[in-house]
Amino acid sequence: MDRRRFLTVLGATGGAAAAVSACGIGPEPTEHLVPYVIPPENQVPGVATYYATTCRECTAGCGLHAKVREGRVIKLEGNPDSPINQGRLCARGQAALQGLYNPDRVTDPMARTATGEWQKLTWDEAIGRLAAQVKAARGKGIVFVTGLETGSFGDLVDAWMRETGGRHVTYEPFAFEALREGNRLAFGTPAIPWYDFAAARYIVSFGADFMETWLSPVGYQNAFTHAHAFQTGRAAPPAKFVYVGPRLSLTGMSADEWIAPVPGSEGLLALAMAQVIVAGRRAPLPADAARLRGLLAAHAPEKVAAAVGIAASDITRLAREFAASQGGLAVAGGVAAQYPNGAEIVAAVDILNYVAGQVGKTVKFGPNHGLGQAGSFKQLGDLVADLSGGKVALLLVQGANPVHTLPGTFSQALGHVGFKVSFSPYWDETTAAADLVLPDLHPLEQWNDSRPRAGIYALQQPVMQPVFPNALAAGDVLLRAAGKAGTFKDYVQGRWHELHQRFGKGRDFEQFWNDALQHGGIYTDAATQTVRLGPRIEQLGAGVAGAPGAADKLPLVVFPSLALHDGRGANKPWLQELPDPVSKITWHAWVELHPETAAKWQLANGDILLLKSPHGAVRAPVWITPGIRPDVLAVPTGQGHKAYGRYAKDRSFNPFELLSDAPADFGGRAFAVSVTVQKTPEHRRLATIEGDAREQGRGVIEVLALARARELKSGSHPFAERETPAYADKALADWADAQHEKASLGNYAGAHPRWAMAIDLAKCTGCSACVTACYAENNLATVGEELFVRRRQMSWIRIERYYTGGDAARPVGAVVTPMLCQQCGNAPCEPVCPVYAAYHTPDGLNGQVYNRCVGTRYCANNCPYKVRYFNWHNYAEPGGEWESWPDPLNMLLNPDVTVREKGVMEKCTFCVQRIRGAQNRARLEDRVVQDGDITPACAQACPSEAIVFGDLHDKTSRVAALAQDPRGYHVLAGLNTRPAITYLARVTQGAAAEA
Amino acid sequence: MTKRSGWAGLGVAIAVTIAPPLSPAVAQSSQPAPPYKAPVISDTGRLPGPRQPIFFRHDIHAGQDRIPCLYCHSTVTISSEPGIPALQTCFGCHQMIGGSTPSHQAEIKKVREAFANRQPPHWIRVHALPGFVRFPHQRHIKVLGTEGCTNCHGDVRTMPQVYQVATLRMGWCINCHVQRNVSRDCTVCHY
Repeated sequence: MDRRRFLTVLGATGGAAAAVSACGIGPEPTEHLVPYVIPPENQVPGVATYYATTCRECTAGCGLHAKVREGRVIKLEGNPDSPINQGRLCARGQAALQGLYNPDRVTDPMARTATGEWQKLTWDEAIGRLAAQVKAARGKGIVFVTGLETGSFGDLVDAWMRETGGRHVTYEPFAFEALREGNRLAFGTPAIPWYDFAAARYIVSFGADFMETWLSPVGYQNAFTHAHAFQTGRAAPPAKFVYVGPRLSLTGMSADEWIAPVPGSEGLLALAMAQVIVAGRRAPLPADAARLRGLLAAHAPEKVAAAVGIAASDITRLAREFAASQGGLAVAGGVAAQYPNGAEIVAAVDILNYVAGQVGKTVKFGPNHGLGQAGSFKQLGDLVADLSGGKVALLLVQGANPVHTLPGTFSQALGHVGFKVSFSPYWDETTAAADLVLPDLHPLEQWNDSRPRAGIYALQQPVMQPVFPNALAAGDVLLRAAGKAGTFKDYVQGRWHELHQRFGKGRDFEQFWNDALQHGGIYTDAATQTVRLGPRIEQLGAGVAGAPGAADKLPLVVFPSLALHDGRGANKPWLQELPDPVSKITWHAWVELHPETAAKWQLANGDILLLKSPHGAVRAPVWITPGIRPDVLAVPTGQGHKAYGRYAKDRSFNPFELLSDAPADFGGRAFAVSVTVQKTPEHRRLATIEGDAREQGRGVIEVLALARARELKSGSHPFAERETPAYADKALADWADAQHEKASLGNYAGAHPRWAMAIDLAKCTGCSACVTACYAENNLATVGEELFVRRRQMSWIRIERYYTGGDAARPVGAVVTPMLCQQCGNAPCEPVCPVYAAYHTPDGLNGQVYNRCVGTRYCANNCPYKVRYFNWHNYAEPGGEWESWPDPLNMLLNPDVTVREKGVMEKCTFCVQRIRGAQNRARLEDRVVQDGDITPACAQACPSEAIVFGDLHDKTSRVAALAQDPRGYHVLAGLNTRPAITYLARVTQGAAAEA
Repeated sequence: MTKRSGWAGLGVAIAVTIAPPLSPAVAQSSQPAPPYKAPVISDTGRLPGPRQPIFFRHDIHAGQDRIPCLYCHSTVTISSEPGIPALQTCFGCHQMIGGSTPSHQAEIKKVREAFANRQPPHWIRVHALPGFVRFPHQRHIKVLGTEGCTNCHGDVRTMPQVYQVATLRMGWCINCHVQRNVSRDCTVCHY
C-alpha cells in the first residue's frame, strides 16, 4: 500500500477534515547572541568536550565520560578505560545528571532559627558557626557520618575527627556485612573478594543480584555476558547460570534454572552441594578441606532436602554440574545475605567455592572491593545508642540519609543530639532534621578520588562550573573550618603526589596527573592472595539452618530496587519513571505475591494490603506474579520519602519501616521479616507498562535450547520458515520488485547505507540501562504517575518481560526483549500519514519529521509494535502543568535533538543525531563512515553489549554478520514489515528451555 | 578548564593579527583588484537590518580591512556553530586602534568599556532558524569553501549593518540542494 492509494481511499470513504494545528506559527521572538569575554581554551561551541570522572551513584565506582556542551554536562557514558565498567553504564549512572540539575537542591547555607524557620547564611557565617560548634563540642562527643568514602575525602574526615577528638562512621544501607562476616568465618578475612564472572563456566547465585545492586553491577553484568552469552561456533559451551532465591529477580530472569528453596535455607543447599563434590571426589580438594568432612557429612542432600524444599536428586545434579564445569563460581548476597543467618549462608557458599577449587581462580582475594571498608549496621546501631543516650553533642552527616532507612529510631535519637549539621545537596529527611545545612557540590562538580577495588585509584574531577554557585564542596568547608590553607583540590593532589611516587614511572607530576585525569584514574592489578579455611569453620553447622518462620505470619523479603537503590534515586524522575525490570511498575512500590496466594485471598493487582511487622506497618498495592514462592511476599526499597524533593516526597510506602532496627548477629541488617497481612477496601491503579504477562504465542521472543543452538550452522535459518509463508511468496516478490524500482528514483538512487541493529537476547538481561540512556540522549519527557497510569509514557525503548512456564511441564522463567522502533523497510506507519511526516529515508530509517506532524496519530494506530509515542501535553512548557524539565533540569537537554511540542508524534530514530554527526565528521576528514563510528545511546550504555548498530550494506560490519546469524529472527515478521532490527534468539540450557 | 588572564590572552590576539588566522582552512583573500573603501554613513537610520548595541561595520572590517570571515567566525569549518567572536578578539585590535573619526571613536570606546567591565554586548541575532532545524555550517563550508559565506549571507563585506538577504525558508534551502544535486532527505536537517 503506498501513500497515494491510501489517501485516495481515505478521501473516497468520506474524507477526513484536515486538522489545522494552531501552535507555534508566527514570527520568532528576538534572540540575542552573547559572546564570551575571554573564551575558554579549546572549547568549540557545537562540539562536545569529554571529561573523565567517576560515578558516585553507588559504591561500585564506575568510570564516566561526561559529555559537555557549552559548559554544561548533557550526557554521561561509561569510561572505556575503567576496568570496573568497561565503558558501560547503568540506569542509575545515567540519571546522575538529574541529581546534578535537580530543582530541589539546597542553594545556600541555611541555619535553623530559634523558631524553627530556615535562614540563609553567608559561607563565612556558616563556617564560623560550624567551627564554633566543633569547638564547643570537643570532649562532649563529635560524630561524622558519611557514606562509603575510600579516598581523599574519607581521609580528610578521618584526620579532622582525630584532630577534634571525634569519630568517623561510614554508613551504607547495603553494606554487605554478611559477606564480610561470612568470609571471616570461612577464610579468616573480612574482605570482599573480586569475582571473575568472565572466567566462570558455571555460575550459581544464592540471591546475589549482581546485575542490580550487588557490589559492582555494571562490571559483573558485563563479565557475566562474556561467560554466558552464546557464540555460534565457539568450542566451549556457554556457562550455565543457576539462580537460587525466593523470588525471580532481574538477575534471576537471565538464569537457565531458577531454584526457589525455603527462605533462609540457601546455606543448607550450598553445604549439600559441597558435600556431593567432596564425597564424590569431583574436584581436586585443597589440602585443608579434609577438616570439613564432618560438617559436610551432616549436610548431605538427603538430610537437608526437606528443610530446603528441593529434591535431593536435583541438589546432587547441580553439584555434579558445578564441579564438572571446572570453572564454577558461587556467589551469595542479596536476599540470601539478609536473613538473620546471612553470614552463615555466605560462609557455606564460600565452602562450596573452596571445595570446588575455585578460590583463587574465579574468587579472587587481593583485588578486594572497596565496600569492604564500609561501616556496619551494628556500628550505626551503636551510634544510635550513643545519640539516644545524649553522648553526642555534634553530629555531622554527608552522603548518607539514615533518617530514611531507620525512620523511627534515628529520628528519635536525633532529638537528643546537641547540634546537627548536614552537608547534603538535597532536602532529604536527615537534612530536614538538621540545625545547619552546608550544601555540598554534586560529585560531578567537585574533586575527589576513591578506591572502588584494590589497585584502582579512581579520580573525580569537576566537569562543569557549579550549577548552584553558592554550594561549596564539603572538603573545602572542612578545610576552612579547620583553619587550613589550600583548597580540597590541593588536598587531593597532595594524596596523588604519594601515588606519583609509586606509579609515576619516570613522568614528572604534571604529566602523571594529566594522564590520570585523562583516563579517569590509575588502574593496576592487585595480586591475588591465597586464603585458607578459617580456624573455626567446622563449627558452622549450627547457624546455617536459620530460624523457622512464625506460623500465622508470612516471610516478607525487602529487596533492593534497581532504580531507586536504598532510596537515593527517588528524587530523579528518570528513575521514578523507569519501569522496574521485573514488575514494570513505576512511581510507586508494590508487594509481590504468587497467584495462589492471590487466589486464596481474592486479590487483584492494585488492591491495597496492610502489612504489619513487629516494627511498623505499611500499605502496599498488590502485584501478582508467578516469579515468587507462594509462601513469600516481597517489597522493593526506595519509596516512602517524607522529604527529598517534589519527585520523592510523600510517595508510596517505605519498607524500612517494617524492618528491625536491631542488627543481626553478623552486624548487618535483616531485610527479611515476618508480617501479618490484612486486606483493605482500597485500590490503586498501578502505573505499569505491562500489557500481558504472557506472550500468548505471538513469537515476540524466541528461545532456543542450547543443544539446538549448537547444532545450527552458519547459513541455516530456523526462524525463516515462520516469517515467509509459502502462499505469500509471489506477493512478496512483486512487492520487492516495486521497492527496487522506487530505489532508483531521485533522492533514493545510488548507494546509501541501510542502518540496522542486531539485538542479542542471549545477552540482554532486561536491566533497562538502555531505557534511561535513551531518555538522556533524546530529550524524552517524563510524564509523571497520573499520565503513566493512562499509558502516556514516552519511552522510545522499553523492555518487555514475559513469563514462561509455570505448569507441571516447565518451571517458571521469564524472557525479556528491548522493543523499539523497528525502522521497518515496509513500514505500516508511513503510508497512513497524511502530511508525509512519517516517511522512509534513503538510508533505511523510518523518519519522523516533527515540524510536519499535525497529530493525526494514525501512524501509532497502525504500528504493530506500538513504538510510537504522542506528545499529549506540552511537556517542555516552562511552568506548565505537565512540565518535565523544571529549571534547571532543562540544562540536561541535548541541543542536537529537537524538543518536541504538544501534538507531535515521536519515536526512536536510531539516534539519527549521532548518525548525522558521524557523517559530518567523516566528511570533514574526507573519509567514509566506518563500522563502529556510530553507536546509539542504548548500545553504548548496555552493560551486556547486547545491541549492535551499523550499516547493513557494509559487508564487513558486525551488524551485517549478525543479521545473517542462524539465531536471527524478526519480530512479527509475518506482517511483512521488514524490520531493520534482527533479534538473536535467547539460548537456555537446563530446565527453562523453549518458552 | 583553566581561564587565561586577560593580558595573556591579548598576547595571543596580537600574535594572531600578525600571523595567519588559526583556523585550518585558511581564508585566502581574493578581493577584486581595486581596494574597497567603506563609505561614510551619515544616516544610519535608513540602513536595513537590526540596530546592534555596538555599531560594528562589516564593510570596514571585512571589506576595507580585508579581515577574513574566519578570523572572527573561526569555528564555521569545524562546527555547526560559526561562533560569534569573543570580546577578546575585538579588544585584540581595539586596545590599540581607537578610531579615526568621532563616531568611530565612540563605538570603539564601547568595546573597550565592555571588555574592561566584562560586560559583552548582547548582539541581536540576524540569521536564526527554528528549533526543529539542524544546520551544519561545517558541511556547507566544506563544499563551498571559506569564501562560501556570501552564498547565504550576502555580500557582508559591503554591509555597514548586517541584514538578512535570503529568506532562509526551507524552499530556498531546497532550491540550492536541488541545483547542486545533494541530499534532500528530511532527516538530514530535521531530527
